[in-house]
Amino acid sequence: MESDEELVKRTLAGGNHHYGVLIQRYADYLFGLGMRLTAGNRELAEDISQQSFLKSYTYLKSFDARKTYKHWLTGIAVNCFKDIRLKEQRYAPIDDTNEASYSPRLEENSDFFNLIQPLDDNEKIMFTLKYVYDYRTQEIADVLDLKTGTVKSKISRALEKLK
Amino acid sequence: MNSIESIIEQEKGVSYTQRNKQLFSFYTLTLIAQEQASRRLKKRAGISLLLIVAFLLLFLAPISSLIEGFIASLSTLDIIDIFKIGALNYGLVFIFYQFLKKRSIF
Repeated sequence: MESDEELVKRTLAGGNHHYGVLIQRYADYLFGLGMRLTAGNRELAEDISQQSFLKSYTYLKSFDARKTYKHWLTGIAVNCFKDIRLKEQRYAPIDDTNEASYSPRLEENSDFFNLIQPLDDNEKIMFTLKYVYDYRTQEIADVLDLKTGTVKSKISRALEKLK
Repeated sequence: MNSIESIIEQEKGVSYTQRNKQLFSFYTLTLIAQEQASRRLKKRAGISLLLIVAFLLLFLAPISSLIEGFIASLSTLDIIDIFKIGALNYGLVFIFYQFLKKRSIF
């Protein structure tokens, strides 16, 4: 099986079909991350996944081979999630600005969606990456372009909120 | 109520699957190709606009003197000169076309 980095190189050399392999490899991963961050909203999760692949392709030249493609893609997906949330807040009707404009479909593990509901977007991202995907604090800091200390304090604040 | 640990463990066991992954991949690649085509078109349109403006600036501003010079030179032109001018023009167009083709502009 070809490595991600090899596929990136081949894509950059002009083989778009190699990017299709990367899409198929990470489609479920990004979709799952999107589902967890959006509390089970399939449409938004698919949107996040697709936008992430499009952005990843656009900025593929700037991919730093010292990072893993998965982590880089995760960073893009997280930014897509934040963009979608910002857009939602911007276009939400004035009366409903305090509520999320989508209604989560709690058909999967609703306990988890309920658990992270009190957290803000950044806390949700960090909590999910840390505890569901077993990312190390340093990796989360790299993905989110934050300092390790900031990540640590935000995660402990999130845990406090949940207790 | 389940503890945080058990909820997380339960969530780790859940696998989310993208609907029709192949179609999703194909559609995303199509969007990428569309985006590339649109970027190429914009680039071509920009270059064409630039060329038109450059052409207008270069040739239309001194056009009256050029026309006068051209008309004056017509009386002294022979058939060899006409062939020379034609060959020069076609040569320039060919070089320019090859340049644009090499740069994947046209």
